[in-house]
Amino acid sequence: MLAACTQVRPWERGLLAKEEMAWRTDALESALNDHIFFSKEASSGGSSAAGGGCGCN
Amino acid sequence: MAKPSRSLLALSTTALALPGIAIADAPPVNSSLSYKVSNYQEDDLDRAESPFGDLGRYDIDVHQFQFISPIGRAFSLQIDANYEDLSGASPWFTTLGPNGSPIVNLSGASGIQDRRAELNVGTRYYLENGSIGGNVGYSQENDYRATYGGISGERHFNDDLTTVSIGLSYSSDDIFPTDAEIFNRVISEDKSSASAVLNISQIINQVSTFQTAFSITEQSGFLTDPYKLVDTRPDKKTQIAWSNSYRRYMRAADAAWHINYRFYHDDFGVTSHTSDMSWHQNLGSSVQIIPMLRYYTQSAANFFTNVDDFTSPATNFQSSDYRLSAFGAISGALTLKTTFGNWDATLTGERYLANEKYSAFNVSQPSTALVRYVRVSLGLDYSF
Repeated sequence: MLAACTQVRPWERGLLAKEEMAWRTDALESALNDHIFFSKEASSGGSSAAGGGCGCN
Repeated sequence: MAKPSRSLLALSTTALALPGIAIADAPPVNSSLSYKVSNYQEDDLDRAESPFGDLGRYDIDVHQFQFISPIGRAFSLQIDANYEDLSGASPWFTTLGPNGSPIVNLSGASGIQDRRAELNVGTRYYLENGSIGGNVGYSQENDYRATYGGISGERHFNDDLTTVSIGLSYSSDDIFPTDAEIFNRVISEDKSSASAVLNISQIINQVSTFQTAFSITEQSGFLTDPYKLVDTRPDKKTQIAWSNSYRRYMRAADAAWHINYRFYHDDFGVTSHTSDMSWHQNLGSSVQIIPMLRYYTQSAANFFTNVDDFTSPATNFQSSDYRLSAFGAISGALTLKTTFGNWDATLTGERYLANEKYSAFNVSQPSTALVRYVRVSLGLDYSF
């Protein structure tokens, strides 16, 4: 994967700096979705370590 | 041409301030205060799913607050606070209906009333080639308490095109079900959860990035649902998840395309696939519209049964919890975002539908009472 990537110099990364290119464009929305899906589905985890639990019955 | 000095690189990368991408070796430039209020409403059950009693399920209001601020030249502070107010009923036990299909009985005529409050405080220290951070948090409900903490670190490589990060977290939870003596529930139990995640992000070219992450979580203690009439689960669970994300900026459309996929497996026997896509379309400089589509499918836990077996010894593992059944779920959301001065406002509507017919796994015991819900959220962000 690294070999297939092009060399992108810092001054060429302007488009990557756009807010819509972030991994999580809305932190509160992502946290809310993680919480809802955690309470309604059997799966959890992924790109970040787990936070606090809840009863969520 | 001589290679730029490291100090010049640091200055230019700080100026570019890539949010969430490889180059994050500087605190945020601005402070921000965010608030989001959401209402989540589950559909009522059909009378065919529950022939007796009330059909209403959960109705939840959620308030989220977040404050982020640079502290000096090398630190940042983040404070998250959440408050939930929930009411309604959840499945209590399942039996065989008159037509031979499972039916569900919801929890009590008075339903459930619960409130949850959570506070999480974190800080981050920025170095030349990366950062390290930690957080502690506390969550309290009428019947549940969690104390948790975590540390993480990230480092950039390859001219800051590659970022590797590691996170560790631990949570210690106490469970004290309401009306325990009345309904012969456990009085007090506890459980703990420890997890680790390894994350690698890579800038591919001027318009696209990729991220892959692997996490492992170990839970131990009381993992059974105390509010189910019959429910016995193992006291240990190992979970693994492998997530992948791709971001691409579409120049001609002035939009960004997001696609994510996660594989999950645990030793309760559940395997799942999650995939979602969103399109972040700019409409001028101050408005954005974001449609999202998500597909989820899971297999059943080894001990799932869609009809409770009241004759089985209490030491045998079993659960009729629909969340452990085989099913699929499709959800769609639409977000409208507008920017005015230092303010951002977002309005989101989402519809979620779970159904055994959507499952990519074999469904030998379809669960009754799979959830369907509508969620509406309004968010405000202020940068200063």
